[in-house]
Amino acid sequence: MMPFATPLLAATSMALLQNALIVGAILFALGLVGILTRRNLIVMFLSAELMLQGISVSLVAWSRHHGDWGGHVLVIFVLTVAACEAAVALVFVLQAFARTGRLDAAAWQALREAILVRSVDRELPPSDAAAASWPRLTPAGVLPERTADTPLEREHV
Amino acid sequence: MSPALPALSPGLILAGAVTAAATSLWLLLPRGSESRAARWLGLLLGAAALAGFVATGRRLGGLGEESVFLVVSLVAIVSGAATIVTRSPVYSAIWFALALAGVAGVLLVLGAQFLGVATIVVYAGAILVMFLFVLMLAQPSGLAPYDRVSSEPLLSAVAGAILLGLLTLAIGRLSTEPSICCAVPSRSAAVSGTVPVEPSANEAAAVVADPLANDQVARLGAELFGRHLLAVEVAGVLLLVALIGAIAVVSRGEAALEEDRRTAIGRASR
Repeated sequence: MMPFATPLLAATSMALLQNALIVGAILFALGLVGILTRRNLIVMFLSAELMLQGISVSLVAWSRHHGDWGGHVLVIFVLTVAACEAAVALVFVLQAFARTGRLDAAAWQALREAILVRSVDRELPPSDAAAASWPRLTPAGVLPERTADTPLEREHV
Repeated sequence: MSPALPALSPGLILAGAVTAAATSLWLLLPRGSESRAARWLGLLLGAAALAGFVATGRRLGGLGEESVFLVVSLVAIVSGAATIVTRSPVYSAIWFALALAGVAGVLLVLGAQFLGVATIVVYAGAILVMFLFVLMLAQPSGLAPYDRVSSEPLLSAVAGAILLGLLTLAIGRLSTEPSICCAVPSRSAAVSGTVPVEPSANEAAAVVADPLANDQVARLGAELFGRHLLAVEVAGVLLLVALIGAIAVVSRGEAALEEDRRTAIGRASR
Protein backbone atom coordinates (compact mmCIF):
# COMPACT_ATOMS: atom_id res chain seq x y z
CA MET A 1 0.00 0.00 0.00
CA MET A 2 1.35 3.39 -0.98
CA PRO A 3 0.43 6.17 1.45
CA PHE A 4 1.08 9.22 -0.70
CA ALA A 5 -0.12 7.90 -4.03
CA THR A 6 -3.23 10.03 -4.57
CA PRO A 7 -3.69 13.79 -4.07
CA LEU A 8 -6.42 13.15 -1.50
CA LEU A 9 -4.05 11.11 0.62
CA ALA A 10 -1.35 13.73 0.20
CA ALA A 11 -3.72 16.41 1.49
CA THR A 12 -4.55 14.17 4.45
CA SER A 13 -0.86 13.80 5.08
CA MET A 14 -0.45 17.59 5.08
CA ALA A 15 -3.31 18.00 7.58
CA LEU A 16 -1.91 15.24 9.76
CA LEU A 17 1.50 16.90 9.66
CA GLN A 18 0.09 20.27 10.71
CA ASN A 19 -2.04 18.86 13.51
CA ALA A 20 0.84 16.80 14.86
CA LEU A 21 3.16 19.79 14.69
CA ILE A 22 0.63 21.85 16.64
CA VAL A 23 0.44 19.13 19.29
CA GLY A 24 4.23 19.08 19.46
CA ALA A 25 4.36 22.87 19.76
CA ILE A 26 1.80 22.86 22.59
CA LEU A 27 3.75 20.21 24.50
CA PHE A 28 6.98 22.15 23.98
CA ALA A 29 5.41 25.42 25.20
CA LEU A 30 3.94 23.70 28.27
CA GLY A 31 7.34 22.27 29.12
CA LEU A 32 8.93 25.68 28.63
CA VAL A 33 6.46 27.33 31.02
CA GLY A 34 7.05 24.56 33.57
CA ILE A 35 10.82 24.78 33.48
CA LEU A 36 10.70 28.58 33.73
CA THR A 37 8.31 28.86 36.60
CA ARG A 38 8.35 25.78 38.81
CA ARG A 39 10.83 25.65 41.68
CA ASN A 40 10.94 21.96 42.48
CA LEU A 41 14.03 20.51 40.78
CA ILE A 42 12.27 17.28 39.82
CA VAL A 43 9.28 19.06 38.33
CA MET A 44 11.72 21.17 36.33
CA PHE A 45 13.26 17.99 34.93
CA LEU A 46 9.82 16.59 34.14
CA SER A 47 9.11 19.79 32.21
CA ALA A 48 12.32 19.32 30.23
CA GLU A 49 11.21 15.79 29.40
CA LEU A 50 7.86 17.23 28.27
CA MET A 51 9.74 19.51 25.86
CA LEU A 52 11.60 16.47 24.54
CA GLN A 53 8.27 14.73 23.95
CA GLY A 54 7.02 17.69 21.91
CA ILE A 55 10.18 17.56 19.81
CA SER A 56 9.75 13.81 19.29
CA VAL A 57 6.19 14.26 18.04
CA SER A 58 7.35 16.95 15.58
CA LEU A 59 10.25 14.81 14.32
CA VAL A 60 8.05 11.79 13.72
CA ALA A 61 5.46 13.97 11.97
CA TRP A 62 8.07 15.33 9.56
CA SER A 63 9.41 11.83 9.07
CA ARG A 64 5.98 10.56 8.12
CA HIS A 65 5.46 13.52 5.83
CA HIS A 66 8.69 13.06 3.90
CA GLY A 67 8.60 9.28 3.94
CA ASP A 68 12.03 9.13 5.52
CA TRP A 69 13.46 7.29 8.51
CA GLY A 70 15.60 10.19 9.72
CA GLY A 71 13.09 11.49 12.26
CA HIS A 72 12.53 8.04 13.72
CA VAL A 73 16.26 7.45 14.13
CA LEU A 74 16.69 10.88 15.71
CA VAL A 75 13.91 10.16 18.21
CA ILE A 76 15.66 6.92 19.18
CA PHE A 77 18.78 8.92 19.96
CA VAL A 78 16.70 11.49 21.84
CA LEU A 79 15.44 8.61 24.01
CA THR A 80 19.01 7.46 24.62
CA VAL A 81 20.30 10.87 25.57
CA ALA A 82 17.24 11.50 27.76
CA ALA A 83 17.96 8.32 29.69
CA CYS A 84 21.60 9.38 30.23
CA GLU A 85 20.54 12.89 31.19
CA ALA A 86 17.96 11.62 33.68
CA ALA A 87 20.50 9.32 35.34
CA VAL A 88 23.18 11.97 35.74
CA ALA A 89 20.78 14.79 36.61
CA LEU A 90 18.98 12.79 39.28
CA VAL A 91 22.32 12.05 40.91
CA PHE A 92 22.99 15.77 41.08
CA VAL A 93 19.48 16.38 42.43
CA LEU A 94 20.05 13.82 45.15
CA GLN A 95 23.38 15.42 46.07
CA ALA A 96 21.73 18.85 46.16
CA PHE A 97 19.03 17.45 48.41
CA ALA A 98 21.60 15.88 50.71
CA ARG A 99 23.31 19.26 51.12
CA THR A 100 20.31 21.54 51.57
CA GLY A 101 17.50 19.22 52.63
CA ARG A 102 15.28 20.80 50.00
CA LEU A 103 14.42 20.15 46.38
CA ASP A 104 14.15 23.89 45.88
CA ALA A 105 15.95 25.52 42.97
CA ALA A 106 15.99 28.80 44.92
CA ALA A 107 18.08 27.14 47.63
CA TRP A 108 21.05 27.55 45.32
CA GLN A 109 20.75 31.26 44.68
CA ALA A 110 23.87 31.86 46.74
CA LEU A 111 25.67 30.87 43.55
CA ARG A 112 24.49 34.05 41.83
CA GLU A 113 26.69 37.00 40.94
CA ALA A 114 27.42 39.45 43.73
CA ILE A 115 25.67 42.33 41.97
CA LEU A 116 22.36 40.49 41.60
CA VAL A 117 19.65 40.90 44.19
CA ARG A 118 18.33 37.93 46.09
CA SER A 119 14.87 36.82 45.07
CA VAL A 120 12.59 36.56 48.04
CA ASP A 121 9.68 34.18 48.45
CA ARG A 122 6.22 35.54 48.29
CA GLU A 123 4.23 35.47 51.52
CA LEU A 124 2.56 32.10 51.97
CA PRO A 125 -0.72 31.60 53.77
CA PRO A 126 0.08 29.85 57.03
CA SER A 127 -2.26 26.90 56.83
CA ASP A 128 -2.09 24.18 54.21
CA ALA A 129 -5.74 23.74 53.32
CA ALA A 130 -5.05 20.80 51.01
CA ALA A 131 -3.87 18.54 53.79
CA ALA A 132 -7.23 18.46 55.52
CA SER A 133 -9.20 17.12 52.58
CA TRP A 134 -7.41 13.85 51.89
CA PRO A 135 -9.66 10.82 51.61
CA ARG A 136 -9.40 8.20 54.30
CA LEU A 137 -10.08 4.51 53.91
CA THR A 138 -12.39 2.72 56.28
CA PRO A 139 -10.25 0.93 58.88
CA ALA A 140 -10.27 -2.81 58.41
CA GLY A 141 -8.68 -5.43 60.66
CA VAL A 142 -6.55 -4.68 63.66
CA LEU A 143 -5.05 -1.23 64.08
CA PRO A 144 -1.25 -1.37 64.06
CA GLU A 145 0.46 -0.25 67.24
CA ARG A 146 1.96 3.19 67.27
CA THR A 147 5.71 2.99 67.53
CA ALA A 148 8.34 5.64 67.89
CA ASP A 149 8.73 5.68 64.12
CA THR A 150 5.06 6.39 63.39
CA PRO A 151 5.38 10.19 63.29
CA LEU A 152 8.06 9.75 60.63
CA GLU A 153 5.78 7.87 58.24
CA ARG A 154 4.13 10.03 55.65
CA GLU A 155 0.36 9.96 55.50
CA HIS A 156 0.13 11.21 51.96
CA VAL A 157 2.39 12.36 49.19
CA MET B 1 -11.68 27.05 9.70
CA SER B 2 -14.54 25.73 11.73
CA PRO B 3 -17.85 25.80 9.84
CA ALA B 4 -19.73 26.66 13.04
CA LEU B 5 -17.88 29.98 13.38
CA PRO B 6 -17.86 31.50 9.91
CA ALA B 7 -17.52 35.08 11.15
CA LEU B 8 -14.33 34.53 13.11
CA SER B 9 -11.11 34.53 11.19
CA PRO B 10 -8.54 31.83 11.99
CA GLY B 11 -6.11 34.45 13.25
CA LEU B 12 -8.66 35.74 15.72
CA ILE B 13 -9.41 32.22 16.95
CA LEU B 14 -5.69 31.55 17.35
CA ALA B 15 -5.12 34.80 19.26
CA GLY B 16 -8.05 34.05 21.54
CA ALA B 17 -6.89 30.50 22.16
CA VAL B 18 -3.34 31.58 22.97
CA THR B 19 -4.55 34.31 25.34
CA ALA B 20 -6.92 31.90 27.03
CA ALA B 21 -4.11 29.35 27.38
CA ALA B 22 -1.79 31.89 29.01
CA THR B 23 -4.47 33.14 31.42
CA SER B 24 -5.53 29.63 32.33
CA LEU B 25 -1.94 28.55 33.00
CA TRP B 26 -1.39 31.63 35.15
CA LEU B 27 -4.56 30.93 37.12
CA LEU B 28 -3.71 27.25 37.57
CA LEU B 29 -0.02 27.54 38.44
CA PRO B 30 0.76 27.51 42.18
CA ARG B 31 0.94 31.11 43.32
CA GLY B 32 0.70 30.68 47.07
CA SER B 33 -2.75 32.19 47.37
CA GLU B 34 -5.35 30.45 45.31
CA SER B 35 -9.09 30.55 45.57
CA ARG B 36 -11.34 27.79 44.34
CA ALA B 37 -13.09 30.16 41.94
CA ALA B 38 -9.80 31.11 40.30
CA ARG B 39 -9.01 27.45 39.69
CA TRP B 40 -12.41 26.79 38.14
CA LEU B 41 -11.99 29.86 35.95
CA GLY B 42 -8.57 28.55 34.93
CA LEU B 43 -10.02 25.17 34.03
CA LEU B 44 -12.79 26.82 31.97
CA LEU B 45 -10.29 29.01 30.14
CA GLY B 46 -8.11 25.98 29.50
CA ALA B 47 -11.06 24.14 27.96
CA ALA B 48 -11.77 27.21 25.82
CA ALA B 49 -8.14 27.30 24.69
CA LEU B 50 -8.28 23.62 23.78
CA ALA B 51 -11.46 24.19 21.78
CA GLY B 52 -9.74 27.07 19.99
CA PHE B 53 -6.78 24.89 19.07
CA VAL B 54 -9.09 22.12 17.86
CA ALA B 55 -10.80 24.73 15.64
CA THR B 56 -7.38 25.87 14.38
CA GLY B 57 -6.40 22.33 13.40
CA ARG B 58 -7.26 20.90 10.00
CA ARG B 59 -9.64 18.11 9.18
CA LEU B 60 -8.03 14.72 8.67
CA GLY B 61 -9.29 12.31 6.07
CA GLY B 62 -10.97 9.46 7.87
CA LEU B 63 -13.36 9.82 10.76
CA GLY B 64 -11.66 7.03 12.71
CA GLU B 65 -8.16 8.46 12.34
CA GLU B 66 -9.40 11.92 13.20
CA SER B 67 -11.22 10.91 16.38
CA VAL B 68 -8.32 8.75 17.58
CA PHE B 69 -5.87 11.56 16.95
CA LEU B 70 -8.13 14.04 18.76
CA VAL B 71 -8.46 11.80 21.81
CA VAL B 72 -4.79 10.92 22.19
CA SER B 73 -3.57 14.47 21.58
CA LEU B 74 -6.08 15.85 24.10
CA VAL B 75 -4.87 13.27 26.63
CA ALA B 76 -1.27 14.32 25.98
CA ILE B 77 -1.94 18.06 26.21
CA VAL B 78 -4.25 17.99 29.23
CA SER B 79 -1.94 15.74 31.22
CA GLY B 80 1.07 17.77 30.11
CA ALA B 81 -0.61 20.90 31.48
CA ALA B 82 -1.52 19.04 34.67
CA THR B 83 2.13 17.97 35.01
CA ILE B 84 3.28 21.56 35.35
CA VAL B 85 0.40 22.95 37.42
CA THR B 86 0.00 20.20 40.04
CA ARG B 87 1.34 21.12 43.47
CA SER B 88 2.51 17.70 44.57
CA PRO B 89 5.56 16.53 42.56
CA VAL B 90 4.49 12.90 42.88
CA TYR B 91 1.18 13.67 41.21
CA SER B 92 3.15 15.68 38.70
CA ALA B 93 5.19 12.59 37.80
CA ILE B 94 2.06 10.47 37.50
CA TRP B 95 0.39 13.05 35.24
CA PHE B 96 3.57 12.96 33.18
CA ALA B 97 3.12 9.20 32.79
CA LEU B 98 -0.36 9.84 31.38
CA ALA B 99 1.09 12.48 29.06
CA LEU B 100 3.58 9.86 27.87
CA ALA B 101 0.69 7.52 27.12
CA GLY B 102 -0.92 10.27 25.04
CA VAL B 103 2.32 10.99 23.20
CA ALA B 104 2.74 7.29 22.49
CA GLY B 105 -0.78 7.31 21.03
CA VAL B 106 0.09 10.28 18.80
CA LEU B 107 3.22 8.44 17.64
CA LEU B 108 1.12 5.37 16.84
CA VAL B 109 -1.32 7.47 14.80
CA LEU B 110 1.67 8.90 12.96
CA GLY B 111 2.74 5.36 12.11
CA ALA B 112 5.74 5.09 14.42
CA GLN B 113 4.87 1.80 16.05
CA PHE B 114 8.30 1.04 17.43
CA LEU B 115 8.72 4.55 18.86
CA GLY B 116 5.32 4.45 20.52
CA VAL B 117 6.17 1.24 22.30
CA ALA B 118 9.69 2.44 23.08
CA THR B 119 8.31 5.63 24.62
CA ILE B 120 6.14 3.61 26.97
CA VAL B 121 8.89 1.14 27.83
CA VAL B 122 11.84 3.50 28.18
CA TYR B 123 10.16 6.64 29.50
CA ALA B 124 7.26 5.36 31.56
CA GLY B 125 8.98 2.14 32.52
CA ALA B 126 12.48 3.30 33.32
CA ILE B 127 12.98 7.07 33.44
CA LEU B 128 9.73 7.89 35.23
CA VAL B 129 10.25 5.16 37.80
CA MET B 130 13.69 6.64 38.46
CA PHE B 131 12.09 10.06 38.99
CA LEU B 132 9.53 8.59 41.40
CA PHE B 133 12.29 6.75 43.24
CA VAL B 134 14.23 9.98 43.78
CA LEU B 135 11.03 11.77 44.79
CA MET B 136 10.27 9.15 47.43
CA LEU B 137 13.83 9.43 48.69
CA ALA B 138 13.90 13.19 48.83
CA GLN B 139 10.38 14.48 49.22
CA PRO B 140 9.40 15.73 52.65
CA SER B 141 5.93 14.69 53.76
CA GLY B 142 3.14 17.07 52.92
CA LEU B 143 3.42 19.97 50.55
CA ALA B 144 6.72 21.82 50.72
CA PRO B 145 6.46 25.61 50.62
CA TYR B 146 8.44 25.79 47.40
CA ASP B 147 5.82 23.59 45.72
CA ARG B 148 3.09 26.06 46.63
CA VAL B 149 4.66 29.07 44.94
CA SER B 150 6.25 29.47 41.55
CA SER B 151 8.65 32.11 40.32
CA GLU B 152 7.13 34.64 37.92
CA PRO B 153 4.14 32.58 36.72
CA LEU B 154 2.63 35.44 34.72
CA LEU B 155 5.79 36.20 32.75
CA SER B 156 6.47 32.56 31.93
CA ALA B 157 2.88 31.88 30.90
CA VAL B 158 3.00 34.90 28.58
CA ALA B 159 6.36 33.76 27.15
CA GLY B 160 5.02 30.28 26.51
CA ALA B 161 1.88 31.69 24.89
CA ILE B 162 3.89 33.95 22.58
CA LEU B 163 6.11 31.05 21.54
CA LEU B 164 3.06 28.87 20.96
CA GLY B 165 1.30 31.55 18.91
CA LEU B 166 4.33 32.12 16.69
CA LEU B 167 4.85 28.38 16.16
CA THR B 168 1.19 27.84 15.32
CA LEU B 169 1.26 30.73 12.85
CA ALA B 170 4.33 29.27 11.15
CA ILE B 171 2.76 25.82 11.04
CA GLY B 172 -0.47 27.23 9.59
CA ARG B 173 1.49 28.86 6.76
CA LEU B 174 2.88 25.48 5.69
CA SER B 175 -0.15 24.65 3.57
CA THR B 176 0.27 27.77 1.41
CA GLU B 177 3.81 26.82 0.45
CA PRO B 178 3.55 23.83 -1.86
CA SER B 179 7.31 23.67 -2.33
CA ILE B 180 7.66 22.13 1.11
CA CYS B 181 5.01 19.52 0.59
CA CYS B 182 5.67 16.13 -0.82
CA ALA B 183 8.28 17.10 -3.41
CA VAL B 184 11.39 16.34 -1.39
CA PRO B 185 13.09 13.14 -2.47
CA SER B 186 13.93 10.65 0.20
CA ARG B 187 17.29 11.29 1.78
CA SER B 188 18.31 7.67 1.83
CA ALA B 189 17.83 7.50 -1.92
CA ALA B 190 19.65 10.81 -2.40
CA VAL B 191 22.62 9.82 -0.28
CA SER B 192 23.11 6.46 -1.92
CA GLY B 193 23.23 8.25 -5.26
CA THR B 194 20.53 6.19 -6.81
CA VAL B 195 17.86 8.81 -7.27
CA PRO B 196 15.94 7.53 -10.23
CA VAL B 197 14.35 10.04 -12.55
CA GLU B 198 11.17 8.01 -12.71
CA PRO B 199 11.04 5.73 -9.66
CA SER B 200 9.09 2.60 -10.23
CA ALA B 201 6.33 1.74 -7.80
CA ASN B 202 8.44 -0.94 -6.22
CA GLU B 203 11.38 1.34 -5.44
CA ALA B 204 9.13 4.13 -4.15
CA ALA B 205 7.41 1.74 -1.79
CA ALA B 206 10.79 0.62 -0.49
CA VAL B 207 11.91 4.19 0.18
CA VAL B 208 8.75 5.59 1.74
CA ALA B 209 8.32 5.01 5.46
CA ASP B 210 5.05 3.21 5.02
CA PRO B 211 3.23 3.25 8.35
CA LEU B 212 1.07 0.31 7.38
CA ALA B 213 3.84 -2.01 6.26
CA ASN B 214 4.19 -5.26 8.09
CA ASP B 215 7.98 -5.07 8.26
CA GLN B 216 8.14 -1.47 9.46
CA VAL B 217 10.24 -2.27 12.51
CA ALA B 218 12.60 -4.37 10.39
CA ARG B 219 13.09 -1.46 7.99
CA LEU B 220 13.71 0.94 10.87
CA GLY B 221 16.28 -1.49 12.27
CA ALA B 222 17.98 -1.81 8.89
CA GLU B 223 18.16 1.99 8.63
CA LEU B 224 19.40 2.35 12.21
CA PHE B 225 22.10 -0.31 12.01
CA GLY B 226 22.99 0.45 8.40
CA ARG B 227 23.36 4.17 7.80
CA HIS B 228 23.54 5.16 11.47
CA LEU B 229 25.78 2.38 12.78
CA LEU B 230 28.49 4.76 13.97
CA ALA B 231 25.92 6.88 15.83
CA VAL B 232 24.62 3.74 17.55
CA GLU B 233 28.14 2.95 18.72
CA VAL B 234 28.57 6.50 20.02
CA ALA B 235 25.24 6.26 21.83
CA GLY B 236 26.42 3.06 23.50
CA VAL B 237 29.58 4.80 24.68
CA LEU B 238 27.46 7.70 25.93
CA LEU B 239 25.30 5.34 27.99
CA LEU B 240 28.42 3.76 29.49
CA VAL B 241 29.92 7.17 30.32
CA ALA B 242 26.67 8.31 31.94
CA LEU B 243 26.57 5.14 34.04
CA ILE B 244 30.16 5.51 35.22
CA GLY B 245 29.73 9.24 35.76
CA ALA B 246 26.61 8.81 37.87
CA ILE B 247 28.30 6.21 40.09
CA ALA B 248 31.42 8.37 40.42
CA VAL B 249 29.45 11.47 41.36
CA VAL B 250 27.44 9.54 43.96
CA SER B 251 30.48 7.99 45.65
CA ARG B 252 32.59 11.15 45.62
CA GLY B 253 29.67 13.27 46.76
CA GLU B 254 28.99 10.99 49.70
CA ALA B 255 32.67 11.08 50.65
CA ALA B 256 32.61 14.89 50.53
CA LEU B 257 29.45 15.00 52.64
CA GLU B 258 31.05 12.68 55.21
CA GLU B 259 34.11 14.91 55.29
CA ASP B 260 31.91 17.98 55.86
CA ARG B 261 30.08 16.24 58.68
CA ARG B 262 33.31 15.16 60.37
CA THR B 263 34.85 18.62 60.26
CA ALA B 264 31.60 20.13 61.54
CA ILE B 265 31.54 17.70 64.48
CA GLY B 266 35.22 18.34 65.18
CA ARG B 267 34.63 22.09 65.15
CA ALA B 268 31.64 21.71 67.49
CA SER B 269 33.53 19.53 69.97
CA ARG B 270 36.55 21.81 70.00
